[in-house]
Amino acid sequence: MALSVRSAYRKTWQTLSSIKTGVILIILVVIFSAAGTVILQRPMTDPDDMQRAYSPAMLRLLDTTGLTDVFHAHWFVALLILVSLSIIAASVQRFPNSWRFFARPYKSPDEKFRKALPTQAQIAITEEEHALDAAERALHRLRFKSERIVRTNSFSVFAERNRISEMAVYIVHASLLLIFLGGIVDALYGWRGSLTLTPGSASNHVELRNGAGQELPFSIRCDGTGEETYADGTPKRWWSKLVVIDGLREAARKEIVVNDPLVYRGVRFYQASYGRTGKLDHLLLDARPSGSASNAVQQISLAVGQSVKLDAETTVELAEFIPDYVVQDGHVYARSNDVENPAVHLIVTSRKTNAVVNVWLPEIPGIAENASSPYIFEPKDLKTGLYTGLEVSHEPGQWAVWAGVVLMAIGLTFVFYISHVRFWAVPVRDAQGRLALWMGGTANRNREAFELKFKELVEQIENELKPAVVAGQAPATSIAGR
Amino acid sequence: MSRARAEQQPATGTTLIVLVGLSIAFLLFMAFLNVVKSGNILNEANLLYAALIFYAGAGALYLGFGVTGTDSYIRFASLATWAGLIANSGAVAHRWYEAGHPPFASLYEMLLSFVWTLAALTLIAEKRYAVKVIGTVTMPVAIVGVVLMQLLRSEVRPLVPALQSTWLHVHVTLAMLAYAACALSFALAMMFLIQDRLKTENFLAATSIFTVGIYAAILTRFEKWGGLSVVAWDAENKTEVFISRGVRLFVTIPDLGWMILLVFAAVAAPLVLYMLARVKNSEGFLSMANRAVFISILLQTLALVFFLLRARDGVYPSLDAEGLYQTSLAASPFILSALVAGIFANLLYLLLLWRRKDLERLLPDAEALDRITYKTICIAFPLLTLMIAAGAYWANRAWGSYWNWDPKETWAAITWLVYAGYLHMRITRGWRGRRAAYFAILGFAVVMFTFFGVTYLLPGLHAYA
Repeated sequence: MALSVRSAYRKTWQTLSSIKTGVILIILVVIFSAAGTVILQRPMTDPDDMQRAYSPAMLRLLDTTGLTDVFHAHWFVALLILVSLSIIAASVQRFPNSWRFFARPYKSPDEKFRKALPTQAQIAITEEEHALDAAERALHRLRFKSERIVRTNSFSVFAERNRISEMAVYIVHASLLLIFLGGIVDALYGWRGSLTLTPGSASNHVELRNGAGQELPFSIRCDGTGEETYADGTPKRWWSKLVVIDGLREAARKEIVVNDPLVYRGVRFYQASYGRTGKLDHLLLDARPSGSASNAVQQISLAVGQSVKLDAETTVELAEFIPDYVVQDGHVYARSNDVENPAVHLIVTSRKTNAVVNVWLPEIPGIAENASSPYIFEPKDLKTGLYTGLEVSHEPGQWAVWAGVVLMAIGLTFVFYISHVRFWAVPVRDAQGRLALWMGGTANRNREAFELKFKELVEQIENELKPAVVAGQAPATSIAGR
Repeated sequence: MSRARAEQQPATGTTLIVLVGLSIAFLLFMAFLNVVKSGNILNEANLLYAALIFYAGAGALYLGFGVTGTDSYIRFASLATWAGLIANSGAVAHRWYEAGHPPFASLYEMLLSFVWTLAALTLIAEKRYAVKVIGTVTMPVAIVGVVLMQLLRSEVRPLVPALQSTWLHVHVTLAMLAYAACALSFALAMMFLIQDRLKTENFLAATSIFTVGIYAAILTRFEKWGGLSVVAWDAENKTEVFISRGVRLFVTIPDLGWMILLVFAAVAAPLVLYMLARVKNSEGFLSMANRAVFISILLQTLALVFFLLRARDGVYPSLDAEGLYQTSLAASPFILSALVAGIFANLLYLLLLWRRKDLERLLPDAEALDRITYKTICIAFPLLTLMIAAGAYWANRAWGSYWNWDPKETWAAITWLVYAGYLHMRITRGWRGRRAAYFAILGFAVVMFTFFGVTYLLPGLHAYA
């Protein structure tokens, strides 16, 4: 019984940590992610568009399988977790070996190792100490730090660089896991929503994507907002002056623009959009008495519901402002909130005659009574209210994500560009019993560049040792390399 | 037969070089005269024109090599490419200065950067990797690119608020570099397959499938009664016309659909003939297939010209709205690129068909190409990683979220995973040679889909460039 449990556990572990599993999982992630871009996804698409695109039966199938919201489906999240587990398992399984290799440098190569090493050379020498000195000097010239290793009755020389490169792959995978961790934290504890403010108003209520509301422990007030445009009308810059009110004091203030948010206590406020509310701020009018030939023009400004005295007898009130008017059945309705087709309803009251005249600009036939008004009005300008649309987000996990990105950049640099190079120089006796200096080297990447460097090293040592060679005896050097 | 030709070669070799040299000098002189009249010599348009002349010279010499096999052409072609690159750099610098941002903000600017990158890569490949023949491929593309630029409107467009960020420039620069490295790895993998003695008819099948795929993608815009839908262009605001948020307005160019359908049949023919040749084990069908490729190139060029004429400044009706709407080449970058890419791929196949022996002589050996492909991907992968990271950071600053599972973002991640797969298979499983080359080609296909396919083919979720 116990044996089968252990072997089942071992089998699971082996499957989880194998490269094949990793590749299969990644292929699955790719397939389902691709599906999530080809099939319309609910969070981003109008429900009407969804119904128009797919037949009811197909839509039901897609909804039940979760294919209409792939990236938030439980099975997709489970798949990503499996990928993370596979990375962890593969790393854990291979780490002990790599750590042994990393933590215990192999400084003194034995005979078997020397025989089998692909990159090696042998230089005939007359004296050990002189040869080792030459080797050390040559290594120093190639900017390697060398050390003398004590052997049974002699020394050998060992030099290496960038041992950390052996751990590089674990750094890369750890960074990937860190990024995943950040993503998971944000998925669980983060939120995103929007908040609309008009100048002067304040709010602490954020409307989240899924419709729910989020109350902030502080409020945000808009002190002003505006837009700059280019000559041809395209938007150049949207800005908002925001003030954070925490408790009773103004804790922070900033003028934000797109790409430059306000951050307070982990909550970020972004300038997302800008526009005009349909509501009128004020209307500028020119008023001229009708009938008489006088050219006395009065310039008045009216807000909705506000009235102004034109003369001792007459007052005018701005009763209604309709940004986009349409006439139906003798009544005036608002078609939309965009200032497309504005109409203004003024009520002119004459105290003398007790007459109330409904003036409409433009003059809407059948409704307007402009002809009987004692004053003629000409609209000059209207200013509608502004609003600023803010995106608000709280993403506590993003620090893990950015840390992971930096770590991955470091890891990739090491994986691709930094190679762990080792050199050994050992005095040996060759088959005929003559003294020789055995040179060997390894590199874990960029092998062609390494081979060249090794050749250069051997040449330098030979040149140093040339005078020491006994006249008549040609130096026997053999180089083997891949 | 080939020996007789080789004896003739030396004479015609110098002739072509001298001809090209004289033409370049003549054209430059004429341009100079013109320019002296108007006054300003070193502006963007003139520098671009000079670059075009030099690239045309280089292209002529490279193509001359492609047709006759003379090696000396390549040396002079290099020189011409250098000259063109210098002029092009001047144009890029001028544009950058005028616009106040790196040239990535419109189709015109992208083409400018792309052509510059092509010339630079050609020279790097020649000097660093000793692949001298790469100009045969890159120079014609560069010429087409500059010609297309002449057809596009080139005013500097001011950037809307979301695009005014250093991080955008970082992200787009990284994207261009990463995609260039991926394209290079693709070219190298193809060269490996040539040196690895992959049969020419397999290249025929691949080119054919690619061209058929392109025309099938274009035909998704086929409208009933034979028109082709393209995006409408708002000339005043210099942008595409949108009906509502993210939904573009399409106009129908009449009869263009039939033309594309006809050419689709023409490009499918080589594939059908190839399959027949496989089934019947017959050489006859194979040579017919090759002739069919030649014919299809002519028809594809016809389709391109037709498209250029109709789409450049046309006014057409729309099925979605009343009235007539303008269209412009800038509104249809995908169809344009697809048509050019189809012609180009088929021309390359013909080059392989006619000049395989010379190519095999001039290219490095298979093992070297395999290694260089790997090295190029070792450059591309970190660039891809940084590009995604920069994009995420920019999105975080602009819209408050670093990852939205947007189609563009998701496919960029898929691209990253595919190249990570290549590296894993190579480092851990020791995949070399053919398998690695196919994987590299698959990676580039995914890159192309991320760059073009997402915006052109996928349902309009978040359709932005």
